[in-house]
This record gives sequence, structure tokens and C-alpha cells, in this order.
Amino acid sequence: MNRLLLLSLITALLGTAQVRHEDLAKGPGNDWLTYSGSYNGWRYSPLPQITAANAKNIVPKWVYHVPGTRGLRSSPLVYQGVLYITSGNSIHAVDARSGRLVWQYADPRAKESGPNRGAAIWADKVYFTTSDNYLTALNRHTGALIFNKKFADVEKGTTSTSAPVIAKGKVIVGSAGGDGGMRGFVMALSADTGAELWKAYTVPAKGEEGAETWGNLLEWGGGAAWLSGTYDPELNTLFWTTGNPWPDYNGSVRTGDNLYTCSLLALDLDTGKMKWYFQFTPHDTHDWDAQSWPILVDTEINGRPRKAVLHANRNGFFYALDRVTGEFLRATQLIDKITWAKGIDDKGRPIILPNSEPTPQGNWVCPSVKGATNWMGQSYSPNTGLLYVLTLEQCGMYYRSSQDPQPMKNFSGGGATEEGGQVVLRALDPKTGKRVWEYPMTGLGRMWTGTVSTAGNVLFSGDDDGHFVALDAKTGKNLWHFNIGETLGASPITYSVDGKQYVAIASASAVYSFGLFEPVIGVDPPVIEFKKEGLN
Amino acid sequence: MRALAPLVLLALPLLAQHGRYLSDSNHPSIGDPVAIAAGTKLFMGSCAGCHGPDGGGGARGPNLVRRSLWHPLSDDAIFQVVRKGVPGTDMPPTKLADDQTWNLVAFIHALTGPASSNPVPGDPAAGKAVYWGTKAGCANCHAIRGQGGSMGPDLSNVGGSKPLAVIREAIVEPAKDLYYLGNEAATVVLKNGQTLRGVAKNRSNYSIQLVDSTGVLHLLQMSDVKNLTLSASTPMPTDFATRLSKVELRDLLAYLAAQDARAAESKGSPQ
Ligand code: HEC
Ligand code: HEC
Repeated sequence: MNRLLLLSLITALLGTAQVRHEDLAKGPGNDWLTYSGSYNGWRYSPLPQITAANAKNIVPKWVYHVPGTRGLRSSPLVYQGVLYITSGNSIHAVDARSGRLVWQYADPRAKESGPNRGAAIWADKVYFTTSDNYLTALNRHTGALIFNKKFADVEKGTTSTSAPVIAKGKVIVGSAGGDGGMRGFVMALSADTGAELWKAYTVPAKGEEGAETWGNLLEWGGGAAWLSGTYDPELNTLFWTTGNPWPDYNGSVRTGDNLYTCSLLALDLDTGKMKWYFQFTPHDTHDWDAQSWPILVDTEINGRPRKAVLHANRNGFFYALDRVTGEFLRATQLIDKITWAKGIDDKGRPIILPNSEPTPQGNWVCPSVKGATNWMGQSYSPNTGLLYVLTLEQCGMYYRSSQDPQPMKNFSGGGATEEGGQVVLRALDPKTGKRVWEYPMTGLGRMWTGTVSTAGNVLFSGDDDGHFVALDAKTGKNLWHFNIGETLGASPITYSVDGKQYVAIASASAVYSFGLFEPVIGVDPPVIEFKKEGLN
Repeated sequence: MRALAPLVLLALPLLAQHGRYLSDSNHPSIGDPVAIAAGTKLFMGSCAGCHGPDGGGGARGPNLVRRSLWHPLSDDAIFQVVRKGVPGTDMPPTKLADDQTWNLVAFIHALTGPASSNPVPGDPAAGKAVYWGTKAGCANCHAIRGQGGSMGPDLSNVGGSKPLAVIREAIVEPAKDLYYLGNEAATVVLKNGQTLRGVAKNRSNYSIQLVDSTGVLHLLQMSDVKNLTLSASTPMPTDFATRLSKVELRDLLAYLAAQDARAAESKGSPQ
């Protein structure tokens, strides 16, 4: 009996569905298998059931309260009817039809307690990282631990917050913690064992190319890689963004461009070798991490068909680059008010305006430290041909401190405040970089939520005052809203089970799933038989 | 009893993570391996006769680890109990010097912490053989690091999350009349004629989330269920106290105590 059981176990595992590279490469359908749904970063679903015409009939289907959390940042995954949501150092598998918990795994001994942006899935395993840099792989059916592996030291200032991206059996993870001094990196680990395959630093070592763009702070230079990136299977290239140089606000101790901070890196998936880089904000002093989605779109730019990568940057500009070569193609203004640069020159370098540096007394600069946009999930719809970006019209004060930089002591060389401001959801035309419509929101500019677009031409987004909204993806017209009642800090997804489309979003403390109204039929309590002896 | 189950499911993971003695003391002996070792010696000599060698309870004294779940004590309060005893009960006062008493407090404090953080008697290598062997058959129901069955809870981190006495109790005295929603052995006959056997990870009047005996998850609507049969007792065998020898049990516990999700990295695979 015992041996039989083990045998059937092995054969069954071979027989069940596994997430393969093709499934991930195909992009969303009924399932939602990576942080942004697809490798190209579109956050777009071909599900057609919910449309601009019937969106008014959307109702909540279930809520799952994530125990003990107040600041969810996680975008869920869905595979075969199970929804996976992460919180700091924990992951929860929930029945995507009913919201009932299937299993949860927590690692309460983790040395840090930061937020977590999501999980990854591959074969029969679900992956997430703890805030102290353990890649953790679990059996997707039961939540049983398969392996966990530490890939970086918190003692060196690195923590982990982003959802891993899995491509061809490699788990790509990044590094958070750039505001306290650390050396950023992107890393590939084996999906089978967690073993390190390659590590690409975002700041060069002494003597390496690019080191001459720094002073002596190289080894603490920052350039964190705290948001997952995108992947082009055809080019076998990863597109990863990097954060600000450290210390954030005091540039005088790190003269030069500070490569490769505030940049987009094109890395070879197999080796981690840098194919090209593009730096949006050389020598940043405003904490304008480049963490915002690099979106891969093939489109016509300046009259020529291009394999483009689109990037709405925190510094206020919306960029288009050639993703094969890294060539700068175009930059347009993402927000109305930019005071630090007159524009972007034809090499892609900002034309800096005087008096925009942080000072001991404080300097008023637009955009604010939060940026013209940030890591909020953007979406590109091939149906409308539009890119949807949450932007923030906000300015703020920037201060500089001349104290000696001290790594890992919460020291950032100064500080910043944000004042007023408004979030505006904007639809941009990738061909021109121009706005097609915009949807202004009420609120205090505190949200971090993002968007998902669908084949039904509905664009779902959180808004800045705790509502979940559905807009017409073509016009930006509001179709439906629901007051969740908490500041939203995570991006929505959509999935389908049993032919029914759902849209799910995490609020600060719970996951909500919505669908089209249908009557709920009364159910008699089940008749359950209890047997004294073991059943199996 | 069954009505209690859902509450217990929620409470258990929280309680089980750490011992419940409130650690509000800064006394240097707390967490100090030398003090704990000295305390162990004292405990074996003067206290184990009543409280059991791992504090798991004996004929004349309560299980200190369980007791800490409903009667948490600060380190200073433990100090006072050990010194003064509990008047009117069998718990005697002692005449130990301050530092010896603190050694005992350090030991009791450690007892209620994860098994992996304390020295544990027995041979983990021999215990590994017991665990994976057919006599005990643990692996049929429990997985460690991806190997083994799914009828019972994953044990990859059992030593890292539970005190030794709690692990021992789960093995030799599995909950007699109550077990937790999430571990119910279930047989489901669906209206389409299919029969599924396994463990109900969760269930309500409307849906059931079942991992079958081959480890595959099924998400079922109760409206599709014709017949649901649940085992009235825990699926965990209840005869390990007699099926295994004292030495086998000791070694098995040593092996389980070493299962720690945060330590195994350096120890390699369990098989
Ligand atoms: C003769 C048996 C006996 C011996 C020997 C003994 N105890 Fe106890 N102990 C008890 C009993 C019985 C209780 C429960 C008292 C009660 O009913 O509250 C107890 C309670 C305790 C408690 C819990 C008190 C509380 O309020 O939760 C601690 C701690 C404790 N004992 C530690 C020790 C230590 C340390 C030693 C050795 C120095 C020791 N005991 C020796 C019988 C004993
Ligand atoms: C027939 C299946 C089965 C076998 C064989 C089995 N167990 Fe269990 N075990 C279970 C189930 C089911 C539970 C959950 C019990 C409950 O909730 O009442 C459990 C609970 C436990 C627990 C408590 C774990 C927790 O997280 O609460 C431990 C420890 C344990 N078993 C160890 C063992 C060991 C060691 C063996 C072998 C000597 C063994 N089990 C054999 C099914 C089994």
C-alpha cells in the first residue's frame, strides 16, 4: 500500500499540467502567468467577455483578506483556477472562483519585512522571494517547500521586493535597497535548484568600463533593480531598469554620469552580458529611478517600422528606443510641468536647466521625487494601439545634506517632499508619443496602482482615492467604479475560470475579484458522512 | 469539537511560530548556549521527573510547552515560579542560586522556541532512516523539500517552526478527537460519477479544495458533489508510540528537529 501510494504519486506528478516556456511566451489567456501577464510587459488580456458595453454589470465576486497585512503591492498570478498572491514574506494560494484559501506559506524569520510585488510560476512550482533574498520554490498544489536559496546578503544592503521573471528555466531576480547604499544587480538562478547562473551588476567594479563615471563610491553606488523587467524571446534579451545612484540627493560625492544607474539595460538571457544600455537620467540627484515598465512594441516610429521599447520615465519624459540596438528614437513630455530639463537632445540626453539641483535650503523642482510616473503597472493594448500610463503632475522640494555618506544607515544625502499634485491616467500613441486621451483622478497622489487592458476594450485601473474603475480603452470614458475604500498599491489582472472572466486587484489588505453579474442560487448545506476509520 | 476547527486553523500558525513565553527580559542567559546547556543539566536532574525531559509533560507535572500557549509567562515570572514554586500544587520551590535559576529560565525559554534552535538528543542520521523507512511510513503522507506525500502537512520546516515537545506530541499523541480543518481526509463522489480521495485543504458549504492522494489539487463546487465522506479522526496514525522503539522515536525527533527552512541550505538534500 505504501509503496503503491508513492508510485502513483510519481506517475501523477508526471501526468499533471505543467507551466512550460511556451505557456509563458504565449501571454495571458484564461491564466495570468507572469507579473505583467506577458514577456513583452503589455498587461493586456485577449479575454473578450467583459466589454465596454456590459462593464456596467460588473459586481464583486469574492474578497480574500490577506492575514496581517496593510500594504499589499502584489499583482496576482492565476494558473488553472488558482490565484497566487504574495505579501511580505508570505504567499497565499486562493481558489480563483470562490476566494477560498487553498494553502499559505510564510517565512516569519526573514530578516527584513518589506513589501512584495508578486510570484512567478514554472513547471509545478510557484516562486517568490523573501525580503531577505531567499528564492523560495513551492509545490503549486500543496504549498509544500521544494527549495529555498539565499541569493544575496541583507548585510550588504540588498533586499528583495520584485516578482521574479522566469524565462527558459531561469529565474531572474533583482535587488532593492538602493536608497541606503548597496551595489545593484540582476541575477539568474536555476528554476530547478535555485543555483546561481549569472549575476550582472548595475554599477561597474573599479577598473571596469564605466567606473570612470563615478567618484569613490562605486561599491555602494546603488542602481537597484527592484522592479521585474521584460523579455524578448526572439532577441533572447531581457530589458531591466535600474534605480538611482547613491547617495540620492548629494551628487557632489559622485561626479560623472554614474553608470549604469537610472538606465535601461539590455541583457542576454543566457549569459547576463550587457548588449546595450541607455541612461535616461545621467548623474541623477532627484531619486528618479528608471523603474517603470519597459514595454516591447513593434510599431512605426519617425516613419520607420521599429522593434521598439517604450518607457515612461520618472524624470518626466516618455521615451522610445530601438530595442535591438538601444538607439534613441524619440522623447516627448509625459507630464505638463517639467522644470529641470528643457527637453531631450537628439542623442537622448536631457538638456538641463540651471538651478534644479537639491540645495541645503531646498529647491523647488518638477516632477516631484515620486516622479512623473513610477512602477505602477502600465498597459499596452494591441486593439487600440494605445499605451496607458498613470502619471503624476506634482512638484516638490529637494534638499541636500553635505554629511559624509554612510552606507546602510538610511542615509540618502538629503531629502525631498511632495506638494499637492494630481494623478492623471493617460493614453499615449506609441507612434508619436502624443496623448490621445486623459483621465484625471481625485486624490493626494498617494496611489501605486496600475492598469490592465482587455480585448473587450476595457481598461481597468485603480484610482487615487481607493476606487477600482473601468474605462473605455478607446476614449477614456468612465464605465464603472467600485469603492474599495483603501489606498491602492497594486495592479489589476484578469483571468477566466469555467468560461467566466474575472478581474482581480489587491487593495492594501485584501484581494478583490470582480465579474459580470449573475444571480446567485441558494445552496442546501451538503450532507457529510463521517467515518471512524481512515479513508485512504 | 468539530465546530472549533476553523478557529484553530487560524490561530495555530501564529501560535506555532514561536514559543509563548513572553521574552521581555534582557537577562544575558536568555539565548546563551552555555546557560541553556547548564539549564538542561539542572532540568534533567530536578524537574524532568515531573515535567518530562523535553518539558512535554509527565505523570506529576504539566507540559510546559503547551502550557505556554494558554499561560504565557515572562522570563522574570518563570524565574519567580522556579524560585517560589506554585503553592498548593506539586510544583516545589527551589533553593538554587540566582545564576542557576536563570540557567533554568534560559532552558525553558528555549524549550518553547523552535526545535532547531536547541540541542536535541539522538542521532539525526538514524532518524532519517526511520523517517524514510517503511516501518514508520512518514514519507507516504508528509513531504520534506519536495519529496514525499501530501496527505499531511509539509515537514520541511517543522524543526524551524515548532518546539520539540510539540513535534513529539504530534507523533505520539496526535489530536485524539480534534484535528484541523485543512487536514481532513476526504472522499468525494461527484455527480459525474468520478471519485476523488485525498485531503480537504479547505471546504465550505459551497466549495471544497481537495488535494488528491497523488498530490493534485482539485477545486470543486459543492453543487457538483454527490457525496462527501470525511474521516472522523485525524489521518495521522495513532500508534507510533508503540510502533516505534524509544530509540527510533528519539532519533526521528532529532531528524525532524533539524528540518529548518532557514538552515537546510547548508545541509543539502534530506535524502
Ligand atoms: C513534583 C513535581 C514537580 C517538580 C519536581 C517540578 N515541577 Fe514545575 N510544576 C509542577 C506542577 C504540578 C505545575 C503546575 C502548577 C499549577 O497547577 O499551576 C508546575 C508548573 C511549572 C511551571 C509553570 C508555571 C505557570 O504558572 O505556568 C514552570 C515554569 C515549572 N513548573 C518549572 C519547573 C522547574 C524549572 C522545575 C525544576 C527546578 C520544576 N518545575 C519542578 C510540578 C513539578
Ligand atoms: C496516513 C498519513 C500519515 C502518516 C503515515 C504520518 N502522518 Fe503525520 N500527519 C498526518 C496528518 C493528516 C497530519 C495533520 C494532523 C491533524 O491536523 O490532526 C499529520 C501531522 C503530523 C505532524 C504535525 C505537523 C503540523 O504541522 O502540525 C507531525 C510532526 C507529523 N505528522 C509527523 C509524522 C511522522 C514523523 C510520521 C512517521 C512516523 C508521520 N507523521 C506519519 C498524516 C500522516
